[in-house]
Amino acid sequence: MAIMAVAALFHASRFPLIARRTFPSSVSYCPLTLLSNGFTYRLQSIICFSSSDGGGVSESDMVVTEAQGPNFLKYSDEELMKQCKFETFRVSGPGGQHRNKRDSAVRLKHLPTGIVSQAVEDRSQHKNRASALNRLRTLLAIKVRNKVDIEGYSPPPELLQILPPKSTVRSSSSGSQIGPNNPKFVPGMQALLDVISASDGSIADSAKLLGLSTGGLSRLILSHDGLRMAVNSMRAAKGMKPLK
Amino acid sequence: MIRSFRFTSLLSAAKPLRSFACSSSPAIEPPQCSSSSSISLRITHPKTPLFLRAPSHAAPLSEVWKWHGWAKDLASSVDDNSSPEDEDSLDSILLLRELKWLIEDSIEASDHHHPVIITGTETPRGDDGEKKSVKLRASLEELYDLWRQRIEKRRPFQYVVGCEHWRDLVLCVEEGVLIPRPETELVVDMVEEVVRGDEWFKRGVWADLGTGSGAIAIGVARVLGGCGRVIATDLSHVAIAVAGNNVRRYGLEGMVEVREGSWFEPLKDVEGKLVGLVSNPPYIPSDDIPGLQAEVGRHEPRLALDGGVDGTDSLLHLCDGASRMLTSGGFFAFETNGEKQSKMIVDYMTSNLKDSFSGVKIVSDFAGIGRFVTGFRL
Repeated sequence: MAIMAVAALFHASRFPLIARRTFPSSVSYCPLTLLSNGFTYRLQSIICFSSSDGGGVSESDMVVTEAQGPNFLKYSDEELMKQCKFETFRVSGPGGQHRNKRDSAVRLKHLPTGIVSQAVEDRSQHKNRASALNRLRTLLAIKVRNKVDIEGYSPPPELLQILPPKSTVRSSSSGSQIGPNNPKFVPGMQALLDVISASDGSIADSAKLLGLSTGGLSRLILSHDGLRMAVNSMRAAKGMKPLK
Repeated sequence: MIRSFRFTSLLSAAKPLRSFACSSSPAIEPPQCSSSSSISLRITHPKTPLFLRAPSHAAPLSEVWKWHGWAKDLASSVDDNSSPEDEDSLDSILLLRELKWLIEDSIEASDHHHPVIITGTETPRGDDGEKKSVKLRASLEELYDLWRQRIEKRRPFQYVVGCEHWRDLVLCVEEGVLIPRPETELVVDMVEEVVRGDEWFKRGVWADLGTGSGAIAIGVARVLGGCGRVIATDLSHVAIAVAGNNVRRYGLEGMVEVREGSWFEPLKDVEGKLVGLVSNPPYIPSDDIPGLQAEVGRHEPRLALDGGVDGTDSLLHLCDGASRMLTSGGFFAFETNGEKQSKMIVDYMTSNLKDSFSGVKIVSDFAGIGRFVTGFRL
């Protein structure tokens, strides 16, 4: 539900004319976000106001990029920010004191991957920047695949943290399970998608590697909309049925 | 004339933000008056923004729906009478977003319902709408009036709700003070960078000249942490009252001192001692004032906008003052009208004041416009 809200929000028609002129509509951006409870609340509220926009991003729009490179999620916010081009939407006119702020929307383009993240919903540009950066992390987790070696695979700590306690590969040192609303879920989600990708989209094979039942892994995947969409687009590319 | 006083209980209904610990209210002190004029007559009581008012009004949900429907229609209708090419026209998409924020500020959230959810249920289910009552921070009549002012009078949204979200702050604003702009958020970022590079900047006195709502001063004080000190000056007594109120709401009375007076006038006691000087002075050329966006030109204070013939009157005054007021190594950052003015200021400082400053440079805003001039006192 929340995902669709962001999707509606990010549909090009949400942006004022100035913004629309600023960047080509062909830029594909993926409207996924990590939602804190407060933010979900806000998004729920946005649904009411974006219903007229129609819009939304279907699951087929989710193109998972196969890219090999550094694990961008390991960078601090500041380092990540340095890899990005940061823009506001109002570029015409002199700005500053001349204008009453009409839009505090921001856009982050992550230069190494070309992934674009935007935020518009907050009243302050500062907060929109923070939201865009959070959103970028989720997008990086979802879109950028790192190679894993299935032979002798052992899950990294960030992945162990998001696995349910039932998992047999978990140990007491993995701590309690981190849920989808926690920012620490994102690196775990990335590692999980890497495993599923290496298993060619097979949930059963991935579940074995993670010491879980197929049902248990499915439930974990379905707990996060972005994760579910990423897995399903991966499966669709292999001609497999989506998880529901 | 220099006056220095602290604002205490000017605003009875004002509460600290939830995220801040409520500091014990300071004792009420009479304003100190350094001259014979009766200052108490000139104290302006800041208005209470909508979101800080008590939810003392109630209306049936169906009536709130009716208002919301009307407000949406009014917002959508603006597109019919304006051309999208016209920079000064209203935009219904942005107005609808503002309407959502107006609802957030004026309807009390209940345990289960966010205000926007309440109004979001478009179709009244049965007679539910008649029975259910919604608590409001303004009467419905006032809400009709406020939204009409926004659209028909082009009153800035921030004045309508009485606040502006700026950086991580929510600042009270009202007619008579400039609404802080998103560009200016960067001034605080620049200060943060300088302070992070050298702890020395944390220990000295900073000044924010022409502070308006107090935005920069409060932002800088929070960057400095516990030991810093910021003096915020303004010529306008409305600004002084509003800035004082904002400082108090953030519990920064011990760090930010608000002083009334023109530019450096109230700062004689710290001459040559400042470690930092920041300002967003009026910089719009006088001839551009009549053509400003309606929200700005018709409603915001000319005092905070008009920078004289080429817009640089105040900026040049600040440059001259900066050489006198800053201690060696001190940092300055000024906002300007854009590329042309930034270059003029850099030229002035690197020629006329070349023995006073080093590292003078132009910093761009997020739209890529050369917006700020920064540097250090030699």
